[in-house]
Amino acid sequence: MTDLVLSDLTRSYGATNAIDNINITVGAGEFLTLLGPSGCGKSTTLAAIAGLDQPTHGRISFAGRTLFDAASKTSLPPEARGFGVVFQSYALWPHMTVDDNVGLSLRLRKVAAPERNRRVGEALDLVGLTAYAKRYPGELSGGQQQRVALARAVVFRPALLLLDEPLSNLDAQLRQEARIWLKSIQRELGLTAIYVTHDQEEALSMSDRIVVMRGGHIIQMGTPQDIYERPVHPFSASFIGSANLITGGSVSEVFGGQAAIAFGDGQVLRGHAPLPVHPGSPALVAVRPQNIQPTEGADENRLLVRFGAANYLGDRFEQEAFLGECRLRLQTIRPAPEGQGAIWIDHADALIFPLDDRAKDKTR
Amino acid sequence: MGSSPRISSAMPQEAPQTVLPDYSRLIQLLIFVVTAILMLAPAIPIAVQVFIDRPLYSDGWIFTFANFGKLFGSAQLASVLGTTAVFSVITVVIAQVGGVAAALFLGRTDLPGRHLIGGVLMWPLYLSHLIFGMGWVIMYGPSGFLTQWLARILGGAPWNLYSLAGMGIVAGVSQIPLAYLYCLYGAVRSVDPTLEHAARTVGARPLSVLAHVTLPLMIPSIITSAALNLVIAVETLSIPLFIGGPARIETLSTFLYHQGIAASDPDHGLIAASSLLLVVLVAATLFVQRLLLKNSHRYETVKGKGSRPALLKLGNLKWPLVIIMGASLFFFVIVPVFGVVLRAFTTFLSPLVAPWTTLTLKNFNTLLTSETFVRAIRNTFFVSFFSAASGTILATMVALLIQRSDFPFKRTLEALAYSPRVIPGLITGLGIFYATVIFSPMGWLRGSLWILVLAYVMATLPLALGAIQPAVIQISADLDKAARTVGASWSRSMRIVMVPLLRSAMLGSFTLLFIFHLKSYIIAIFLIVPGLEVMGVTMLSLWTNGDVGVTAAFATLQMVLIALFLVATRLVFRVKLYD
Ligand SMILES: Nc1ncnc2c1ncn2[C@@H]1O[C@H](COP(=O)(O)OP(=O)(O)OP(=O)(O)O)[C@@H](O)[C@H]1O
Ligand SMILES: [Mg+2]
Repeated sequence: MTDLVLSDLTRSYGATNAIDNINITVGAGEFLTLLGPSGCGKSTTLAAIAGLDQPTHGRISFAGRTLFDAASKTSLPPEARGFGVVFQSYALWPHMTVDDNVGLSLRLRKVAAPERNRRVGEALDLVGLTAYAKRYPGELSGGQQQRVALARAVVFRPALLLLDEPLSNLDAQLRQEARIWLKSIQRELGLTAIYVTHDQEEALSMSDRIVVMRGGHIIQMGTPQDIYERPVHPFSASFIGSANLITGGSVSEVFGGQAAIAFGDGQVLRGHAPLPVHPGSPALVAVRPQNIQPTEGADENRLLVRFGAANYLGDRFEQEAFLGECRLRLQTIRPAPEGQGAIWIDHADALIFPLDDRAKDKTR
Repeated sequence: MGSSPRISSAMPQEAPQTVLPDYSRLIQLLIFVVTAILMLAPAIPIAVQVFIDRPLYSDGWIFTFANFGKLFGSAQLASVLGTTAVFSVITVVIAQVGGVAAALFLGRTDLPGRHLIGGVLMWPLYLSHLIFGMGWVIMYGPSGFLTQWLARILGGAPWNLYSLAGMGIVAGVSQIPLAYLYCLYGAVRSVDPTLEHAARTVGARPLSVLAHVTLPLMIPSIITSAALNLVIAVETLSIPLFIGGPARIETLSTFLYHQGIAASDPDHGLIAASSLLLVVLVAATLFVQRLLLKNSHRYETVKGKGSRPALLKLGNLKWPLVIIMGASLFFFVIVPVFGVVLRAFTTFLSPLVAPWTTLTLKNFNTLLTSETFVRAIRNTFFVSFFSAASGTILATMVALLIQRSDFPFKRTLEALAYSPRVIPGLITGLGIFYATVIFSPMGWLRGSLWILVLAYVMATLPLALGAIQPAVIQISADLDKAARTVGASWSRSMRIVMVPLLRSAMLGSFTLLFIFHLKSYIIAIFLIVPGLEVMGVTMLSLWTNGDVGVTAAFATLQMVLIALFLVATRLVFRVKLYD
């Protein structure tokens, strides 16, 4: 069942578009993540859905009802949309107790006091903060505030939950825990959720589907496995899994889904080409650091490089290597000595993309 | 924590809310319309009066440019403008030099007694020019106490207060606090001390650190306060009237006052034209200020650190500086204020007679037994209270509409709300007077104190906004957005979230406005009719009638009231107008 539909959504500030022609469909009960670097338009998209910001173009509908339509100038105010929002800053009201923060939505909906208390208690129980009901937000830790914000957003049983980097203010340990219980609460309550983050781990571990964004555009949309294993754009590959992007080559051969790319110094690398490529055109190769090894394997490309310094990371080393002008990072258990040497890359681990203007722009 | 399901099944979803009729837009529109009427009501009649041949309230007027001809043709104008310019420049120079020096030495050095000096320095801010000017005349005027005393010793008066320089000194000293506050809070307190330390490490001595590092960083604050002081100097009435009047020195404001109030048959066209000239001068000043501050980010060094910068050690310069500053304050501020009080408790004041032999309570007796005077005090409180309260409420609503709404005309609203900055108080009063004459629905106001409330609210909206708008900006916009997402309409989110968080800013605005109105006289001048007297205007006419003793008693009473109010707000609400 389809719940939320964003069609041709654009938000411009003067000449620049914060989001540019976004199309997303979200199913009921789905956990969808908007993932991308800072400034790519994630918050703008979320604010448009919540009704906190007016896009300049496009439509938004939810469960068949039009929330926003730029053409007919209709826009439902946020209070009429009734979506739960967890703000990056939590935005708890400092002059109200935890109880009042959580209960305001019910008071505004004229829910009678006994019922209201029951439901506020239930929501605080859900986030494990029953003992803190009478405190003020200023008297809570960051993690506790974040849980109050979540309780406040779900207590009125919103049809849609919008979360804007809710975990970004927590330390690594708390973030791990919060990720798990946030996901379990979403499942328990059967909520449709849209989650904004720039943390790839968070996105991969929690989402049903991920939307990779950059510069106001959608780069790729798919399940976490799709995105990680089958990136269709060099940006997806480099942003999720921090792949090396090797430039400076051009396509020398195309066969089936495979291609070969030749570098200036005559070396050739074979790999998988998810998008159509044409012989003679410039291309780039995306390879994850852990898929580059300084030791020989079967069915692999061999490239001559100059090894640089290696850093010890505990369970492995990260080493840099130079292929011509291009700097690569590789992760290995046994680093190679500095100076001339060779690396091996499995054919299946090298992704070859056409280097069009847009791709170049997006590999920054 | 969330490990076992506590809510048995998926929660049933709340039915989407039915959209209630939302009054937010209506409220927004109402705020806009009220503000627009308030701001335009006094301006439009004056603008019309400028271009017609007879008073607005008489019939059959025709459009004309003759009023400008009269104004610019008058031989007096050139000299009036020249006098105004010289007076304003002297005022601003004294105010800025004094204010900047005070900010540097009191804010950045270990000058002994700096808290006491800083406190006394603020006195002129709480007193009207009227009282302050009166104090100077009583002590330093040609027949003033100290002048006479010195004249007997030296065999001739050592100075002449009734001169352009005298006017400039009095106005300048009374505007020092404004420059001081701007420089202190705008710059000195927020200058990154590491910059000063850096200068010390390369061998700069304390005074040259202040001169070469701290001072340049204060330039934006100096420009802003200089512009404000220039505007105040151009508009001020009582100092030119009291001090320049006897010497027949006429500034634009006294010219307007004499044409409008003192003349038996006022020429309204000429009055309106000179008002317009005054407005243009003020607007030009503020425009220049904006131009000068366009690149002010160059001076931004504010690090937003909470820590107080370390104080520069003055060393041997310490005591000479304390003596200079203390003596200046004593003679320029304490002596005039003390003069007013002394005069209030004596039948006359002269160095020939020991003051304690002429002690009397007669002045206060006259004051408190006269029905008119007591009514003036009552009226002042009534008007000050309601103006401060309604001004604060209006400013809060306007600030929220400007900062926190998607109201389509909010930029227009902001321009409107700040427009009184270019309209001197004297002219606001005049404009409202015209407005009540020509808009018959406003006619009933003429006999009511509410006309003063209206005028005060109009004239001081920028002041109130200045106290509230920064506080609004400091509150994260996410807070009211969050209220919207849980179901509050715009107006409700403002009431539930913003207003409670703005409480202390609103109290600050109320206190500021209340004191401002308590000492105000200029706005009311054109609006006073018997029964509507307020303290300031009553003092003005008492003084011009020569009742110096009663005026001084009135002034003393007003100073005591203001002091009491300040102490009370500090104790009850913990409001501090400045640190
Ligand atoms: N009020 C505004 N005026 C002009 N540009 C804006 C405004 N708000 C956002 N932008 C621009 O729109 C783009 C998208 O902003 P948005 O806040 O959606 O980014 P984001 O993906 O949420 O980033 P982050 O991860 O840093 O929160 C940015 O380039 C930003 O500069
Ligand atoms: Mg964001």
